[in-house]
Amino acid sequence: MPFPILSTPHVVLSEIISLLEPNEIVTASFCSENLRRLLKSHFHQRKPSKWRLYMVDYDSNRHVEIFKPIRNSTTVMMAKNISELAGTAHRPNELRFSPEFPVIYSEDRLLGAKMIVDYVTDLFKLDVYGLCIDINGIWAIDWINNRQEKMLGSIALSKNSNYNWYGDEIMDYALRNARASDWFYITDNVFDNFRYNGKLGPADHLVINPSNHWVTIGNLMNFDFINISVSGSRISFSDLTSFLRQWRVGGSHRLAYLSLEFELDTIFENFDEDLEIVETTEVRKYRVEAEGDDSDYEIQGGYSIQRMDGVKATINCDLRLFLMVVWHA
Amino acid sequence: MSSTEQGTSSAAPAEPTTAPESAAAPEVPESFYYVHGKDKVVHKVSAGALQHSALIHGMISNLGYTEEQAKANPFPFENIDGDILQMVVDWCNQHKGKPTPPEDTNLPKQKEKLFDLVLAVNYLEIKELLTYCCKQVAMMVKGKSPEEIREIWMIPTDAEDEAAEKEAKKRAGKEAAGETAAAAGDAK
Repeated sequence: MPFPILSTPHVVLSEIISLLEPNEIVTASFCSENLRRLLKSHFHQRKPSKWRLYMVDYDSNRHVEIFKPIRNSTTVMMAKNISELAGTAHRPNELRFSPEFPVIYSEDRLLGAKMIVDYVTDLFKLDVYGLCIDINGIWAIDWINNRQEKMLGSIALSKNSNYNWYGDEIMDYALRNARASDWFYITDNVFDNFRYNGKLGPADHLVINPSNHWVTIGNLMNFDFINISVSGSRISFSDLTSFLRQWRVGGSHRLAYLSLEFELDTIFENFDEDLEIVETTEVRKYRVEAEGDDSDYEIQGGYSIQRMDGVKATINCDLRLFLMVVWHA
Repeated sequence: MSSTEQGTSSAAPAEPTTAPESAAAPEVPESFYYVHGKDKVVHKVSAGALQHSALIHGMISNLGYTEEQAKANPFPFENIDGDILQMVVDWCNQHKGKPTPPEDTNLPKQKEKLFDLVLAVNYLEIKELLTYCCKQVAMMVKGKSPEEIREIWMIPTDAEDEAAEKEAKKRAGKEAAGETAAAAGDAK
């Protein structure tokens, strides 16, 4: 039985729209220009500020996802290569509809990706919050930086097993130009001798895995993050003491949590006396704050170290792990 | 409380049909009010059930009617069909004094009545029922293509919108011309 939605009062129409999932709204927007204008106007007046819009350009998969609070993400629109469409005669940038979301088929990979991002950001009046890319999506860093004033919230440079490595130049370019306010995820493939001498951050979280062999102590001192979690580290004990020495005099001042998982067993000898590190049996709880996913942990004993300004930290270490929790006031 | 009787005349208001839920009578006797729709059939509804409607709740909160006064002054909702008002009254009775669940299985099932029900519920300002109804409307288009959505929600195509706009402009033009001619005639 049809329901004449456009004949309902404004308040009812708004309620119905607010109950639709993002992918349903995008599909509905293709019903008519009038409905698209109406939906657009709805979201321009009531900006869904809690929604997070992600652009994904990974492998042959290019799509836009929206995260709603306490929900999984929903793919709202996708771009595919026209070669994936059966038959021979197709219009350029042909639009098809799957039961879940609209798909644009285009000859130009980048154009298709840009079209879906432009369409969805315009409809919901949202900026792109997150970017998830592999080596082929590096172009999107500059494109997004140029198309919106608001800085990305999250950036993920993801490993793609179809490609052996990023290549030094590409990785260097990505690290230098990637800007995000909240999250950096780097799950990269780089050459064994790759080194990076630039800055990274400021942002809240940095996660590098599974291989962090390229991160030197110099990088660690230059990373500006609240929480840092890296695995596959080759940083030595003596380098870590340099890091702690610099931390005591105000380096990495925003750091609240540092977790280094080592590639090989690392022997922690006695810390230098000037670091004034003392053993502790204290058991303390700490929280790693990640938006929507705060977690509480416990650190038991270890070492206590104090910054010149009085801020203390607890260090736990074993053969493969160095954990440092800073007790900011 | 259960549903009211249907088809009774305004002279004989329908009474609630079920017995009280417990033997222990409430300390303060429950007050009742009376409403009727387009069909003039009067429904007797408790103040507790009517609390769901912000509109009616606002109307009765300061009246202080006696039972006789309430019976003599049923609230007229001439813009609501009788069967729709019956559905609304039933729902209010079923949910009287209960927290409203996130999913409501007691919703009226007749889809052909959904549009009228939505309008009535919106008018009567019954927020929870409106949300349930709107959820049903939203569910209609799950997994559907734009063409299917157009049919389900009766959305005109761009061409139809354009034609309607042209027609409206033409009509407005004619009306304006008519008014000008009439004004000129008056001036003579």
